[in-house]
Amino acid sequence: MELTLLPVLPDRGSLPSLVQELLREQNSLTAVEQFANSVGDHSRPAQAKYYQALLPAQPPGPGEQYAFEVDLDRCSGCKACVTACHALNGLDEHETWRDVGLLIGGTTALPVIQHVTAACHHCLEPACMDVCPTRAYEKDAQTGIVKHLDDQCFGCQYCILACPYDVPKYHAGKGIVRKCDMCSDRLSAGEAPACVQACPHEAIRISVVSQADVAADCEATDFLPGAPDPQITLPTTTYKTSRVFPRNMLPADYHAVRVEEAHFPLILMLVLTQLSVGACFVNEWMFSGETTPVLTSIRGWQMLTAVGFGFLALGASTLHLGRPHLAYRALLGLRTSWLSREIVAFGLFAPAAAACSLGTMFQSATGFAGVAVWLFVRAAVLVTGLAGVLCSVMIYYRTRRPTWGGTRTLWRFVGTSVWLGLSATLFAAMLATSVQSRLEFGTVMRELVALLGRPLMICAAVKLAYEGADLLHLLDRHQSPLKRLALLMTRDLGGIAIARFALGTLGGIILPWSLLAADHDTPVQWMATVTVMFVMSVAGELLERTLFFMTAVSPRMPGAVRT
Amino acid sequence: MIPAELRSLIRAVNGPFTSELVQQPSPFGLARLPVSAMPTATTNMVCGFCSTGCGLTVHLQNDSAIGISPTTEYPVNLGMACPKGWEALSVLNSPDRATTPLLRNNRGRLEPVDWPTALNTFAQRWRRIRDQHGPEAMAWLGTGQIAVEELAFLGALGKFGMGMLHGDGNTRQCMATAVVAYKQAFGFDAPPYTYADFEESDVLVFVGANPCIAHPILWERVMRNRHQPRIIVVDPRRTETAMAASLHLPLRPKSDLTLFYGIARILFERGWIDESFLQGHTTGAAEFQQHVASYFPEFVARETGLSTDLLEQFARLIHEGQRVSFWWTMGINQSYEGVRAAQSLINLALMTGNIGKPGTGANSITGQCNAMGSRLFSNTTGLLGGREFTNPQHRAHVADLLDIPVDRIPDRNSFSYHEILKGILDGKIKGLWVVATNPAHSWINQDQAKDILSRLEFLVVQDMYSTTETAQLADLVLPAAAWGEKEGTFINSERRIGVIRQAARAPGQALSDFRIFQLIARACGVDSLFRDWTSPAAVFQLLKKLSAGQPCDFTGIRDYQHLDQAGGIQWPYSTEFHADTADDAGHSSLTAAVQERRLFADGQFFHPDGRAKLLFESPRPMPEPPTVDYPLVLLTGRGTAVQWHTQTRTAKSAVLRKLAPLAVYVEINPADARRCGISAQQKVIVESRRAAVTATAFLTPTVAAGQVFLPMHYPEVNRLTDAVFDPYSKQPSYKSCAVRIRLPE
Repeated sequence: MELTLLPVLPDRGSLPSLVQELLREQNSLTAVEQFANSVGDHSRPAQAKYYQALLPAQPPGPGEQYAFEVDLDRCSGCKACVTACHALNGLDEHETWRDVGLLIGGTTALPVIQHVTAACHHCLEPACMDVCPTRAYEKDAQTGIVKHLDDQCFGCQYCILACPYDVPKYHAGKGIVRKCDMCSDRLSAGEAPACVQACPHEAIRISVVSQADVAADCEATDFLPGAPDPQITLPTTTYKTSRVFPRNMLPADYHAVRVEEAHFPLILMLVLTQLSVGACFVNEWMFSGETTPVLTSIRGWQMLTAVGFGFLALGASTLHLGRPHLAYRALLGLRTSWLSREIVAFGLFAPAAAACSLGTMFQSATGFAGVAVWLFVRAAVLVTGLAGVLCSVMIYYRTRRPTWGGTRTLWRFVGTSVWLGLSATLFAAMLATSVQSRLEFGTVMRELVALLGRPLMICAAVKLAYEGADLLHLLDRHQSPLKRLALLMTRDLGGIAIARFALGTLGGIILPWSLLAADHDTPVQWMATVTVMFVMSVAGELLERTLFFMTAVSPRMPGAVRT
Repeated sequence: MIPAELRSLIRAVNGPFTSELVQQPSPFGLARLPVSAMPTATTNMVCGFCSTGCGLTVHLQNDSAIGISPTTEYPVNLGMACPKGWEALSVLNSPDRATTPLLRNNRGRLEPVDWPTALNTFAQRWRRIRDQHGPEAMAWLGTGQIAVEELAFLGALGKFGMGMLHGDGNTRQCMATAVVAYKQAFGFDAPPYTYADFEESDVLVFVGANPCIAHPILWERVMRNRHQPRIIVVDPRRTETAMAASLHLPLRPKSDLTLFYGIARILFERGWIDESFLQGHTTGAAEFQQHVASYFPEFVARETGLSTDLLEQFARLIHEGQRVSFWWTMGINQSYEGVRAAQSLINLALMTGNIGKPGTGANSITGQCNAMGSRLFSNTTGLLGGREFTNPQHRAHVADLLDIPVDRIPDRNSFSYHEILKGILDGKIKGLWVVATNPAHSWINQDQAKDILSRLEFLVVQDMYSTTETAQLADLVLPAAAWGEKEGTFINSERRIGVIRQAARAPGQALSDFRIFQLIARACGVDSLFRDWTSPAAVFQLLKKLSAGQPCDFTGIRDYQHLDQAGGIQWPYSTEFHADTADDAGHSSLTAAVQERRLFADGQFFHPDGRAKLLFESPRPMPEPPTVDYPLVLLTGRGTAVQWHTQTRTAKSAVLRKLAPLAVYVEINPADARRCGISAQQKVIVESRRAAVTATAFLTPTVAAGQVFLPMHYPEVNRLTDAVFDPYSKQPSYKSCAVRIRLPE
């Protein structure tokens, strides 16, 4: 056969008009209108015939509640539940309320893999609810569903830190947290939650569980291999399986060490409140002994510095809130939330410290030193400041994250308070000297360095050693949370860790030592050295706090393969 | 009494955020939905990812598609969808969409041009190639991802219009083996089953298939099986499906042919065969029996690494099953001896009489949404409608039906995919038109493939995204409307024809592939040949005519509306069926028996003698076996249910992206890892004779020692694979090459 050829190109004058016509066609949706179902109102969702059997026949009675029940034998890891939840609940582009993880174990002869779907466990003792400062969580009395009141939330994200299952999700655009509510609107109308409707294998159902049984189960058994300790919140989800999991079942992401979120406003807020409180204590301590003219002349400035940083800290803390204009709602959670308590404590500390600083500035003029009210104000500063720092400690302790557990947070926060309290005092003295022409740098600074230099160096050395000791966990055989922390400090966060120790050593040990050892001649030398020392100390502590958050290895449900 | 507004300042139980998510009753029998997602109308279409062919209901709100849910009544998926289906709309909205034609300028950059410029360039450049190098220098690579009507248009335009000789599709990478295996065995490319068979079987054999991950909705149908089925999984890896099996045979990679011959021998030996079926409906049984006689269990056990006991159990389960079905996917198809391996399964079904009855069959699960449409109507390997280019009667018949001069139909077969690439390498092919596929990522031995594509004089890429690896190499990019933005039909794995609709607006100047072909026909001055090709619906009527009298006859389907009402219709569906089921008003509600049909119930196959052929051949050694230098066998395959092929589409959904590992990882057996000093999550180098890539080590006993597994979705994977092909189907053997693994220096 002779091959066909393209004919001679014709006059293509009609091409642009055909383009226009086809573009017009492409943009009209008439074809779809022709076939669309725009009528028809079914009283009942069509899918009901599939999910009817996956819902309980009766609502929960007294002492009972709804719970997810997952048949692991039927969960094949397709993740349709995640996308259905996303689609049918109108979540934002990146938002997901359910996740599917993977457990792997066994031997080469008999390997075992198990996908695990999980959402909110609607716990008997929801940590999210307990820690919420605005009371934006409710556990429904009838259904047991843990609901988040989106309009009540001010976006502090404390619940995210507290939930061992990584359930509440922050929506940055709205400045609030949102989470699974077991599709309670659907459920109350006899319709299945999105995940239940969408699981092709009927692996998820809603069951009614006895709360006493849930508590008893949590006491006796593992919730699921690789999942966090159920004792923390008493999760109600049931994972059923006919398989016997080998002892070495581990989450697929077990060896993946992940960097946690840094929360920069919180870093600033914590370090600076501790600086401020620390400085107030140093102030009291300096004057508890023999007063000298030098000390008297810098006292007011020292308090002023403390207060300044305190207010800076409070300002930073509001940046952390998704909806700062609702900050007043923090008062609602006083009964249960350490965050509420922290806010109240620092809320009282700031004006008390401000009053105290003003009083100190004008003390000699007014001469009210010794008046009972004045003593009361000074005591209030110390009490509220200490309470605030301790509340901060408790906020993190309460999350039960192992890296924040025991006394780990306490020593860090106290250490920062002392270190920066001393350092800030030297800095304040420098400031005071530079604005009061009658003071002479050499005299003032030598006296203060002699008083504070050694405690500062000791405190810094002890704190750095305490933090550095975490690296010993690299030797752990077990991939414990603290080993993960150590791995993060040496790998992903190695740069931050090196900078932290370098700044800390310079600002906390070497420069104070140089102040003690070498005599400076000019004001500029004093000013420069003290400022650098202070800035380095603060920067070092900010980095320490950054590591504090970023290495806060959080418990979570087994995850999928991570790269 | 505190006013409500004041109270809500303190404690806001309700408010805008809360009401935004309240799930309210929705019309059309859908689930309750939040107000923002409440549809004012819906329309149904089949999914555009895989060949399962699920029905999806697109939710429309004032003319725009705002959501999707699986269609409850569609007979394929019964109200369920996998994550890709749920996210099918979100992948349409992406900054990576091609919104205007792009032409490579003098500085080598792709720059936007208008359609007339693009079309004139297209026509002139092809014409220049044809004038200088002849029609053999022109080729296209198509797809299984666009509608049947579009594929037919592309094939007809390419060959009958522009005079190209060579065209092939990416279905070569997934289905070619099954096509050839069926053609040779049954006389026509005819997967015999219907999805109801998953529910009817009492023994299901899955070979090189992991439906839990690759076809979750087919696994749904298995899970609905109420006959307590025994599930046998033949796969080197312990997959999700293997976990769910009653019997897992973790055979050595590429020992499948030996295994199935060994099983055939046991069945013959024990007399566990359907003698009367073999006598009455097949040819080659005696020769086959003779061929397998030497496959003693001990030999087979040695070759496959399985125990003789396992072989015995396997054979016994096949024997004891009343309704045994054999299912295979890419583990068979993507092999250097895939055709014979597929036929070894067909042979098992034939010799045990497991064909043509509910719950039986030798069943290939297809890959792409329209792989079957491509097989029948892409006009590449075969002439339109499952015909042969080399057959003069076929050519005359098609010319007559389409009202075109018969001499426009080539009388020679096309080059297959790898021959086209070789043709480019040899300098014979100068121009290539790539439609809706991404060879620069997906083709085997990718570095070579990229090098080859860069040698072209003219590379046109027609795609919905302008950012694919292949589009980046193109001289001209034509922006295509995607699934959901155009109409047409797909044919799924079980031969079911389903409709797609234009429910969403295409971005910018993007046009449906059909409309692009219309424009090209005009630009090339051959539109007079395509006078009747005015719309997909019109072409559907042409395709019906082309199917008449063929095994795939669907002349009984009236139109798209008929397909919509019937929940898709399987071929064959001749006018006889239509007469049976349409009522006076023209509405048809198919009975279950008509809605789910299988082939060969009468034992009649499509060979002229009506018999099926048992075909066989001695297994050949693996082309690149492990050696001392490259001691590991590399297996590739699907990683998760949320990833599709080269992730061109699925990576555009934020949710799907979140649900899959971000970068490539390699599954290694812990023993191998120990030997190489590799610990979990370390970055390692996987190296073949062709390339070295870096991947995160994932230690798992599900991969046997001596093997490693890489998910194919990541672009670097096919840099490693070895360009070896099945001699009959020309399908690449993606699943076995030798690699080594080491820590980076």
